[in-house]
Amino acid sequence: MLNCIDNSGAAIVECALVVGQKRHATIGDRIVAIVQKQRGASDAGMGVASAANKVKRGDIRHAIVVRTRKQVQRPDGSVVKFDDNACVLINKAGDPIGTRVNGVVGAELRRRKWSKILSMAPTHA
Amino acid sequence: MITQASRRPLASWKAVLRRTRQQRQPLLLRSMATETTPTTPTPGAAMPIPPRKKPTFHTIKSNLPHKPIRTAFAVYPRPPSSRSTTPSPLISYHAQQIRRLDRTGARTALFSKSNPDAAKAGDVLQVTTNRGEPFAGVCLSIRRAGVDTAILLRNHLTKVGVEMWYKIYSPNVLGIEIIWRRPKRARRARLTYMRKPSHDMGNVDHLVEAWRRTRNVFSSKGKGAASNAGRAGKHAKKGRR
Repeated sequence: MLNCIDNSGAAIVECALVVGQKRHATIGDRIVAIVQKQRGASDAGMGVASAANKVKRGDIRHAIVVRTRKQVQRPDGSVVKFDDNACVLINKAGDPIGTRVNGVVGAELRRRKWSKILSMAPTHA
Repeated sequence: MITQASRRPLASWKAVLRRTRQQRQPLLLRSMATETTPTTPTPGAAMPIPPRKKPTFHTIKSNLPHKPIRTAFAVYPRPPSSRSTTPSPLISYHAQQIRRLDRTGARTALFSKSNPDAAKAGDVLQVTTNRGEPFAGVCLSIRRAGVDTAILLRNHLTKVGVEMWYKIYSPNVLGIEIIWRRPKRARRARLTYMRKPSHDMGNVDHLVEAWRRTRNVFSSKGKGAASNAGRAGKHAKKGRR
């Protein structure tokens, strides 16, 4: 279960699969995610989703991990560790579904060629 | 902190003493112009091997004192231990690397245990790297390991806790500054309890902002903080080339 920190409409997603590898996912990895909770409406019933929500509960989408609780080592010896696991939803082509990212993301995304997400984020650490 | 001390000079002896120490420092530095050049000789120079002593033959006590029984077993005197003459390679290697990466000794002093003004766990530090914004955060622990000595900083960015390890002798680290000193000494070496919500300091940006304002008071152009941040790094760079 990860937080989803973009404005696509998903709040919490579940990781179903790490795309292209058999290990755990780290910052910059692509995963297949199932939307578990929607943002905004906060109604438990699967009722009316607000118009801004581009995804619904139960949708299966691709996502990029942007923060991990597990510490990530950088080539220069420094290490970064966040307090939660978070991701950003993308479509099959690799473009973000949401239009903005609320929250800090890991700078590893640049090395992993996800600079589109990096430019949407307010800060990166 | 300095302004507080001047307002109530007797309130905090510690701060007053620290201030006098810091005021004394520039005078010393000015008088000792050649202090930055390392004068200690490089270790590892081979010591001359002392000539081997001749063996004695083991004797057995006999009943006749004028006729000792001589055996064929040669007894060599114990060679002198090389431990005192040859320094430990790993320790001297770490010392050499620290000398190379920290020419002025400023970083070593900033985290040395003997320095009363050193940064301690619980202080808020700011690390300026050669890329990106400087990262400020409360120092949770200092991992002392020779040239691999590292500090763990914790801050909140956009309401998410972020922790960073930085190697203090890394050439990518241009400057480390003490933003805020913990008023009371932390009674733990590793403040991992500060990850708990009940003890978390949260965002330290207000402390950084206050520190920057005090820096701007003393510099005329209001860029004192920036120039001081790069000072240690410039020395290190000069040394490398």
